[in-house]
Amino acid sequence: MIDFDRVVIRYPKASAAAIDTVTLAAPRGAVTAVVGPNGSGKSTLVRALLRLLPLSSGRIAIDGADLAQLERRTVAQRIAVVAQRESLVFPLPVWEYVALGRHPHEGPWAAAPSRTDATVASALDRAEIGALAHRSTDELSGGEWQRVRIARALAQGGEALVLDEPTTFLDIAHEMAMFELLARLAHEGMAVLLVSHQLNLVARFADTMILLHRGHVAAAGTPADVMRASVLESVYEWPLVVTRDPAIGAPALLPLRNRGPRSPFQAP
Amino acid sequence: MSAALRASLLWSGVALVVLIVAIAAIAYGAVPLDARAVVHAIAGRGDPVTVAIVRTLRLPRAVLALLVGAGLGMAGAALQGALRNALAEPYLLGVSGGAAVGAVAAVALGATGAFVLPLASFAGATLAIAVALLVARASGGRADPRVLLMAGVIVGAFANAAIMVLLSNAPPNAIRNALWWMMGSVGDAGWLTVGWLAVYVALGGALLLWFARDIDILALGEESAAALGVDAARSSRSIFLIAALLSAATVAAAGLVGFVGLVVPHLVRSLGVRRHRPLIAGAALVGAGLVVAADLVARLARPPAELPLGAVTALLGVPFFLLQLRRLS
Amino acid sequence: MAIGARYSVRSVAAGHHLRGDRCPFLRPAPRFTRTPILLAAAAAIATLLACSESRRAVTELHVDDFDAVIDAGTVTAPARIASLNPATTELLFALGAGPRLVARTTWDVWPDAARAVPDVGPGLRPNVEAVLARHPDLVVLYASAENRVAAEQLRAAGIKVIALRTDKIADFVRASRELGRATGEDAAAAIVVDTMQRTLARVRAATLHLDHPTVFWHVWDSPIYTIGSGSFLDELLTIGGGTNIYADRTEPSPQVSLEDIIRRNPSVILAGATGQKSLMESPLWQSVRAVREGRVFVVDTNLIGRPSVRAGEAAASIARLLHPGIAL
Repeated sequence: MIDFDRVVIRYPKASAAAIDTVTLAAPRGAVTAVVGPNGSGKSTLVRALLRLLPLSSGRIAIDGADLAQLERRTVAQRIAVVAQRESLVFPLPVWEYVALGRHPHEGPWAAAPSRTDATVASALDRAEIGALAHRSTDELSGGEWQRVRIARALAQGGEALVLDEPTTFLDIAHEMAMFELLARLAHEGMAVLLVSHQLNLVARFADTMILLHRGHVAAAGTPADVMRASVLESVYEWPLVVTRDPAIGAPALLPLRNRGPRSPFQAP
Repeated sequence: MSAALRASLLWSGVALVVLIVAIAAIAYGAVPLDARAVVHAIAGRGDPVTVAIVRTLRLPRAVLALLVGAGLGMAGAALQGALRNALAEPYLLGVSGGAAVGAVAAVALGATGAFVLPLASFAGATLAIAVALLVARASGGRADPRVLLMAGVIVGAFANAAIMVLLSNAPPNAIRNALWWMMGSVGDAGWLTVGWLAVYVALGGALLLWFARDIDILALGEESAAALGVDAARSSRSIFLIAALLSAATVAAAGLVGFVGLVVPHLVRSLGVRRHRPLIAGAALVGAGLVVAADLVARLARPPAELPLGAVTALLGVPFFLLQLRRLS
Repeated sequence: MAIGARYSVRSVAAGHHLRGDRCPFLRPAPRFTRTPILLAAAAAIATLLACSESRRAVTELHVDDFDAVIDAGTVTAPARIASLNPATTELLFALGAGPRLVARTTWDVWPDAARAVPDVGPGLRPNVEAVLARHPDLVVLYASAENRVAAEQLRAAGIKVIALRTDKIADFVRASRELGRATGEDAAAAIVVDTMQRTLARVRAATLHLDHPTVFWHVWDSPIYTIGSGSFLDELLTIGGGTNIYADRTEPSPQVSLEDIIRRNPSVILAGATGQKSLMESPLWQSVRAVREGRVFVVDTNLIGRPSVRAGEAAASIARLLHPGIAL
């Protein structure tokens, strides 16, 4: 549904491209994950999708149509993006915050959705936060807040969900619950495009993984294809092993203690 | 009781209070007037002195106060949402500094004439807004609130310096005149001033209400706003411009009336309003009432001398910031 | 003659200066001869016509200091006068119109009888409501820019307004004449002006051939303010036989630096009572010769503060300070 076609993004006055000829596809009904070390360009892809960065070359397509040619509201009706961080200066009740997701469908003089609006209620249900509807956004825990944001994204009513690092600051239970939710949404037919540094979780839930390294695609394919020690070590520049525990059913990465003198914080 | 019914009752109550305050502003003043005489005077009947006091002094003054309060309230509400800052206020982007420089320059140069001060202050304000926006664009943050705030501070600092230079060389009566203007007053109101300000406030208010839904979304941050289909950069810039020009118009009519645009949105929010369309509309009503009340206090504090309007509204700042402090700790 | 009398160009063009008592043709007639009788008769008729013409012209174009026309052609003199300026209040009392005053500003406290007049607030940006409540039929305002709005509002209420500057001797003379005309006290005004001008002339004559010491007039300390040329105090100083060291500065109250004062080296300093005290006690000011040698003299600020009926006395007091022992 979302296709990046040989996208190149260069920040002004930068020597190297932030994104260098990246091609990836996020189809419906699947979880597509973009992973990579810090600075590999993962968030840049999301900002490009939000049209906060211009493309130097290549194009991004939504169901075949060029993103740049589409109206922002039309895009927002079909794709929901959950950015990395968000904080509200003026708190809202959760249901009202989720109702903001209906904005792309409403004109400037439309009445705001009420508490009982059907779409809002269904979004709250799918994100499994019905009980939080009347809480205030400044009283939520990290995990609750993330789910509320996803509920707002779902209220947008689109068929694609893009998330940038959705599990930062979440504990194990909330992380797993989040990924299970995403997997369920994909199962219901949504295209889920996810940017994350949580390789192990991604490997368990994603259908496709794209590994970025300094703006290039270093590896792409199923988790089994991408989660290989040789590839990962060269990208992350750290010794590690990849295991496969039958109880989990997906490859898992384990970093080892650093034997060499060089630390990744020193310049090469 | 349903939420809608409760809201209607609340706002009817607020409107009633504002109406009462406005009536009080016409009925009370430095000179005690009999209530019936006031009513007759509004219709133009009765003792000519009373008619003069009511029709040419108190009535336009009250209406001007309503308009100034409405304009400042709406501008403040819109800016606090669009800048995602609870302490934003209409005089950002250099509006107050620029307007003051324009007015002080006119006074120091000895320019007289009915509309010299309003025109000069409006010109100064628009120039300052333009400079602030250019400074923000040059540093690369066309819609980044922090960059804009900083640009406004820079323009304001320069304006302060310019005012000091202008006043240091001015004759004493020019200094006095400039100081009075800077302390704000709705007492110089004529019906002509009321007329053009009414047009401005109506137009500016309508535009801000148009953008109100966008402000709800802008309040989420640049990325989230983009995610919901709002062109954050373009919307923010339009909102800043409309709000700043609206404030500049109120400054041209009444000088610097501070703290109204800062405090009124918080007052309205404390009544349970969250979305920006009812917030901006409510801020217009509450702001109008507040400024009329402040002007009433200014006139009755120590008659027959008057306190400057800006001094009375500045006193609002004290309880407001005390409350903010309590909320922090 | 009219020392310092001020006539606007318009009033001169209208024949203002040809007042009834100075009609050029009403002088002792030449020796009788027959043909000149007819000429004299014709001239007499023409004179009457011309003088009545000029009298009409006299009432034509009077403007106050806000350039608003004062229609002096009212039938009755005003019975309730609001004077919003200490100088004009004092003047109205001197003209004998004191009993007709119904409003004054908080600062109008001279003469003592003025304190009995109701106080309606400030004279700068006056409270129009309070003034209106006194039901005046004439309001006298100080012609400063910030009073324009009040003038408009009062006129809109149908009240006669006269705005006058009272900053210099010439302003005062004009104010006297205008107020005299407006209140029907022309004769009293003429006497007031005449008395003042004669005293000033006497003082000027007495000091004319004396050495004029260089004088620094101290108005304020921080920052240092003095008086420039053309201001009322400067006028008094000149008449009183002194030379203002800052006569080259044209602003009424220029700001100056201590260094410059030392360089200009005044031989005398004039100051108010508190000013003199602070000057004598200040170590910085000891570098000025006049301070070192104790020639800092106190002026009576009440007397000399503004152009008033006592301007003559004021000039005399300064002359006595600068030229002790002078016979005035």
